[in-house]
Amino acid sequence: MSCSDDSAKEKLLWNVKKEVKQIMEEAVTRKFVHEDSSHIIALCGVVEACLLHLLKRRAAGFLRSDKIAALFTKVGKTCATAGDICKKVQELQQQAEGRKNPSNGQESLKRQGSTASRPPKLTPQALKHIWVRTALIEKVLDRIVQYIVDNWSKYYERESLMADPVCGPILAALLVGPCALEYTKLKTADHYWTDPSADELVQRHRIHGTHSRQGQDSPSKRPALGIKKRHSSGSASEDKFAASAREYVESLHQNSRTHLLYGKNNVMVQPKEGMEPLPGYLSLHQSAESLTLKWTPNQLMNGTLGDSELEKSVYWDYALIVPISQIVCIHCHQQPDAGGTLVLVSQDGIQRPPLHFPQGGHLLAFLSCLENGLLPRGQLEPPLWSQRGKGKVFPRLRKRNSTNKSVDLEENFDDEMAADYVFRIICAGHRHGNITINYHHLAASRSISVDDDEEEEDRLHAMLSMICSRNLTAPNPMKGTGDRIDTHGLSTSLLPWQLTEYCSQGSSCLSCSSGSSPYDIPSCCSCIHDRTPLKMLCENMKRQIVSRAFYGWIAYCRHLSTVRTHLSALVNHSIIPPDKPLDASGGLTKEVWSKYQKDMKNYKELELLRLVYYGGVSHDIRKEVWPFLLGHYKFGSTKKEMDRVDEVIASKYQRVMAEWKACEVIVKRREKASHSAILVKFSSGSSIDSHVQHLIHQDSTISNDVFMSSDEMDSSDRDMKGQGDPVLTVLGGGTPPLVVAAVEQQQQSVEFDSPDSGLPSSRNYSVTSCMLSSIDEGQSVCFDDGVELGSSTESERTELSIGLSRKTQSRTKTQDTFTEEQLCCQMDCLRTEEDIFSICPTSYTIELLDTVALNLHRIDKDVQRCDRNYWYFTAANLEKLRNIMCSYVWEHLDIGYVQGMCDLLAPLMVVLDNDQLAYSCFTQLMKRMSQNFPSGGAMDIHFANMRSLIQILDSELFELMQQNGDYTHFYFCYRWFLLDFKRELLYEDVFAVWEVIWAARHISSAHFVLFIALALVEVYREIIRDNNMDFTDIIKFFNEMAEHHDAQLILRIARELVSKVQMLIDNK
Amino acid sequence: MAGVESPERREHLFKVLVIGDLGVGKTSIIKRYVHQLFSQHYRATIGVDFALKVIHWDRRTLVRLQLWDIAGQERFGNMTRVYYKEALGAFVVFDVSRSSTFEAVSKWKHDLDSKVHLPNGGPIPAILLANKCDQNKETSRQTHSHLDQFCKESGFVGWFETSAKDNINIDEAARSLVEHILSNYKSFHAEENDVGTVKLDQAALQAESKSQCC
Repeated sequence: MSCSDDSAKEKLLWNVKKEVKQIMEEAVTRKFVHEDSSHIIALCGVVEACLLHLLKRRAAGFLRSDKIAALFTKVGKTCATAGDICKKVQELQQQAEGRKNPSNGQESLKRQGSTASRPPKLTPQALKHIWVRTALIEKVLDRIVQYIVDNWSKYYERESLMADPVCGPILAALLVGPCALEYTKLKTADHYWTDPSADELVQRHRIHGTHSRQGQDSPSKRPALGIKKRHSSGSASEDKFAASAREYVESLHQNSRTHLLYGKNNVMVQPKEGMEPLPGYLSLHQSAESLTLKWTPNQLMNGTLGDSELEKSVYWDYALIVPISQIVCIHCHQQPDAGGTLVLVSQDGIQRPPLHFPQGGHLLAFLSCLENGLLPRGQLEPPLWSQRGKGKVFPRLRKRNSTNKSVDLEENFDDEMAADYVFRIICAGHRHGNITINYHHLAASRSISVDDDEEEEDRLHAMLSMICSRNLTAPNPMKGTGDRIDTHGLSTSLLPWQLTEYCSQGSSCLSCSSGSSPYDIPSCCSCIHDRTPLKMLCENMKRQIVSRAFYGWIAYCRHLSTVRTHLSALVNHSIIPPDKPLDASGGLTKEVWSKYQKDMKNYKELELLRLVYYGGVSHDIRKEVWPFLLGHYKFGSTKKEMDRVDEVIASKYQRVMAEWKACEVIVKRREKASHSAILVKFSSGSSIDSHVQHLIHQDSTISNDVFMSSDEMDSSDRDMKGQGDPVLTVLGGGTPPLVVAAVEQQQQSVEFDSPDSGLPSSRNYSVTSCMLSSIDEGQSVCFDDGVELGSSTESERTELSIGLSRKTQSRTKTQDTFTEEQLCCQMDCLRTEEDIFSICPTSYTIELLDTVALNLHRIDKDVQRCDRNYWYFTAANLEKLRNIMCSYVWEHLDIGYVQGMCDLLAPLMVVLDNDQLAYSCFTQLMKRMSQNFPSGGAMDIHFANMRSLIQILDSELFELMQQNGDYTHFYFCYRWFLLDFKRELLYEDVFAVWEVIWAARHISSAHFVLFIALALVEVYREIIRDNNMDFTDIIKFFNEMAEHHDAQLILRIARELVSKVQMLIDNK
Repeated sequence: MAGVESPERREHLFKVLVIGDLGVGKTSIIKRYVHQLFSQHYRATIGVDFALKVIHWDRRTLVRLQLWDIAGQERFGNMTRVYYKEALGAFVVFDVSRSSTFEAVSKWKHDLDSKVHLPNGGPIPAILLANKCDQNKETSRQTHSHLDQFCKESGFVGWFETSAKDNINIDEAARSLVEHILSNYKSFHAEENDVGTVKLDQAALQAESKSQCC
């Protein structure tokens, strides 16, 4: 009964702790707490639950509907602070009641919870908790609770939480923090209703999230195959310590992983002989697996030291961290006037420095917390006694009726005062941690081969012998004590593949059997002095371990082989180190580059790329280096060769520009004409119905359509291949005269005012009208160079067709057939438009013109708004951007312009600042990047690879992603891959990341983007995990984090991840 | 407990999509609506952007609109399906100065209706926004009636002429959409159980958690 009481109290208190933590967190991250914050309501709720715990009926008064009100009123009679609150609350209630129902104003107490409408100031929840809430906001709740605790007997039953000598004061103490906060209504409520921003999440994570780095991951976590997911410190052990100092202090606080069972400041410890005792903070922490006692000198707690000082402080040497599992005895000495002293004795008999508690029952309180913390697996022997009214007391040992506890007490036990005690810590049963095979350790450090069965077998043997040597082979001492082995317990609890942190204490069998103190009792030797044949049990256990180990092993091997097959294609197999032949972290500097230029023979391409990969390129030489990295120039080319490349590119660029600009003129005219026609139609109003009808009944045939399913996409691709090229041929070659001819033919047959013809979807009309208009102008359409349309096309005809001849050679023969097909297709589309009598081959150009028009429009939209905030993009440079983009798209009309291409071109332009160079480099870059756009298949492959990588490298996160609505489709990485992280980073960082991606292809992985993406996820994995992010959350988070990332950190982690995967595959 | 029957303040989180061809001003509309500003300096949206608008609907109802600003040229396979998931309402935007964007409206609507449904299987309420109306000064009465008819035929619950630049009709359009979402929500939950607020609140919670997890 008292046990269930205790757990109820503990639960109540735990709830309070949780809410206090929440509210403090809000206060820290938002700098204030809004009065309407739900955290306040939540805190009020849990505090009320504590206050109501076993409240005397008398104290609850007649107003049963609101016991809290009764309690406060009663307390208010003797406690002035509470009295003030009573007055205040009554005022508030009267206001509230008065506002909504003046006639009913006095019945406030009874009705406050069920007010039918809300007074303007207080929400219904606030009214419901008006007493506690008011006390909190007036910052006196802690004092009132303390008062009630001090005078509990008037109001509470003995077993109540408030009467508990431990829990009561803790409750009061917990409320001190929230009572020191500022509560305000000043900020707008919207502020509160919005979700925490990404920045806020990151900040919160910095405040309390760091503890989890220490590897206290959830027990269900699967092994990470040796890839530690710690962001900062894959290999560097020195920065581990840097983080650990702050982390340590933070770990003393309550957090999601550990419960703070006990905390007391100014507990004195004499760390070394001859030193003055130091005051410090004693705390007892309970995590899922262990109970830990910590004592931290005040010097480390005060927060007066900066991070760096904190790390170096000598006081770290004095701090105590004692896993209770290592402790077998606790000696308590009490002096009547000087508090109590407590000495912990560990398995090996070593005594820890004595802890000196101040006077006033603190020692007892600590023991009581410890006893609670040991439950259910362990206990204090002898147990503390529960005494009605007083809570826990020291046991009266004389009365004990124990039979076999001769070792309980020290011989010289002073029974007059009963001031000195020795408690044993007994852990029943489940201490199998020491037999747990550390899968992680095995898997990672030994990196097993699966290809080689023999080797595998060897390793299995090695592992088994290791297990045996760790835990089983010490048969002699075991025999000596004759411990019984609880095989049943073993078989149920032994999970050999569980990842635990216990490997260090694997020697408990030894210690148990070492004779001196048979107190620490692991499951394999529960130290109950039965004499069963040990050997047999040992064998039995061995067999079980072997079989489990074996099955686990097989599973692991399969897993690993999957890993290999999945991952081996993602990285290059030869490892190029960062430090050979020399340290590459300095990157490619101007000096190195000019040396290379002077002496090309002695510089290897790979060495330069290695410098780029590990250290980047100095900004002042990027302009020169990037064309090499992107493949515009070849490494090792002579100046002459480079000039030739430039010449070729320049002439090509000029030619392409001329081509599309010619087309643009026609498109523009056509648009102008159709636009005016539409305007006429729109205002006449007659067409919109039919227009609508068209939209409903007519499927679009625009190739750049947004709504194509992947099937359609494929077929359209086929179409493109089959038909697109002839279209190009027709246009590039001899179309314009044909167009003219066709138009002349049609001129009579097409009427402006035909019912459908003015519609935008009616292509034939619009094109024709465009042509008409150009005809109308008497062939005066000119190119920029002023050559007349007809003649210029004639003259350029041969030249233009050169570029296209390669594509079309094979197809020109079949062109007639295509024409037929096209014709039919065209007929189908246009069967409603009866006024079009003749359809001629120029419909190709109509298609093409549509495509060009569409692409030009899209390009214009995006060019206008491409990074307008960045200094480089003045109107003139935007025009250049447009030229380059149009040129590229003109050559790749099958893909067309897709949003994002401008983003890819922009950084190249900024660095290269040369049209032709940027054009060429962009073309090179797009060889890889265009695969990410809808027509290529790379995006799906990226997502699939991400899935494999995360699944293998961070299965915990993968599972979380699956659980929270399953976003393992990884669509939240879409923008990352589409734009090579261009939108995620600031310009400077984009440069740095891009050149590493380009170099990585030759140095470590052609899929380096995957590892950057992985690094991004890993950097924030704790935030993702702790906030249980779903797809919306994560995509929102990364959207908000855009341009806030630490690019160098992410690159470093990405490189580390690559090398880890390489190691994993290479079995090194 | 005494507080149970009291009409508590209800919170809703509604996921609302904003779709339409590229460059019709989706982002501008959202920025205008949420941040009350207009700027020429938005970039093309890639993938999806988010905004949250908090509406104090009435004394007892607080509505949080989670606006999904979906890129106008988002063509990547299944991705829009994921974006659309659990949405409860949509704006389909076109640019009155460009007729091709109006052509695309039907396709967007069709895409929407094929990929997302209300819990009862019906289409989610969608409002047509004729944006950039500041650029087309005179729209005839006929156009209005035609758009009315178009909305009827295409299953839009209404249409508004909007201008993000001049802040015309955007709040009105949003209000109208929220009204539809709320009435859907109420009728849906009334069908399920016509009991009091407690169950409704629970349902609200469920609906919320549903709409949050995609």
